[in-house]
Amino acid sequence: MAGIPVSTPVPVGQTIARPSRWAVLGALFGVVSAAAIALYGPIGVSGTYPRLIGAVLRRITPAYAAANPYLVKMGSLVTPETMLVVGLLIGGFVAARVARTHAPAIERVHASETSTARRYGDAFLGGFLILFGARLAGGCTSGHIISGITQLALSSILFAAMVFAGGIITAKLLRGGD
Amino acid sequence: MSPLFSALLVGIAMGALIQRVGASSPRMILASLRLENIAIIKFMATTIAVGTVLVFVLGTWIPMHFDVKPLYVLGVAIGGLVFGIGFAVGGYCPGTCVVGMGEGRRDALAAFIGGIAGALVFTLAYTLIEPVFIRPMNYGKVTLASATGLPPVVVAIVLAALFLTGVTVLPTRRRATRDEPV
Repeated sequence: MAGIPVSTPVPVGQTIARPSRWAVLGALFGVVSAAAIALYGPIGVSGTYPRLIGAVLRRITPAYAAANPYLVKMGSLVTPETMLVVGLLIGGFVAARVARTHAPAIERVHASETSTARRYGDAFLGGFLILFGARLAGGCTSGHIISGITQLALSSILFAAMVFAGGIITAKLLRGGD
Repeated sequence: MSPLFSALLVGIAMGALIQRVGASSPRMILASLRLENIAIIKFMATTIAVGTVLVFVLGTWIPMHFDVKPLYVLGVAIGGLVFGIGFAVGGYCPGTCVVGMGEGRRDALAAFIGGIAGALVFTLAYTLIEPVFIRPMNYGKVTLASATGLPPVVVAIVLAALFLTGVTVLPTRRRATRDEPV
């Protein structure tokens, strides 16, 4: 639980009696994810990025937007998934305010991030790769890993295995302490 | 309740849960991927275990809007690998960077802009990528249930039992790490 300082040894019986934060919040997220499938469909996020690009390109270069098969396939920005992404922004804002947590402007996660600019560079490059990879695979953490495995999809199990293989190896290689 | 409004509420709840568990923190993501503190991986496994039992048990009484993604081996595998590398480089995924922006994280905005760039390059290159990585070796919308012939509710319960056993048995922290709150 949140109140237990990491440095303090906790009696074994106490840790068993009080469910961990990840367990409580994970179970709640499971209910939310199932509710989404009952109400309208599985949760997903990454398809919103190309739909946003499509919405912009349809205004500035309608001929190209109409001719690009991927933008045609992804369709309009007026879709439940877009509303979910708007909800993520609101949910993050409200939860941080209500809990009075102040998220740092940046978090350095690699030894090579010696300046703010390098941290922004890593965040940008990471963002580029996750969206390119998610669009190639047809989903991301929410659409493939969470709701895909929830539906027992083999493609999502393969995706999750490759994400953690690539992620764990890269994280180990980029180590070096901070 | 309209799908658009339902999705907005689902998004707000999801954003709040991601913020509270700490998944919008790149430091927490890297702690998971370095296997120093796997609380976020346990959070995801618990979500899947609870969700899969709920949808397949409730699905015997009420209609569910399932949408299984097709298994095209090359695109899914390579896309997953590229995603995993990006996950470790930046510490964000497509949803957590939006939650992070809501919290006021500036590197989350950098990840979001990077994401727009990545999606734009994919969109521009789609006609080159699709015939090589997406069209071949596409086995369609296969699931653990359809592949084995077992009833989905049975597979869901077995999968949930495996995941819940894993999160209970595995230690959350490998060794005493910093002062991350979990």
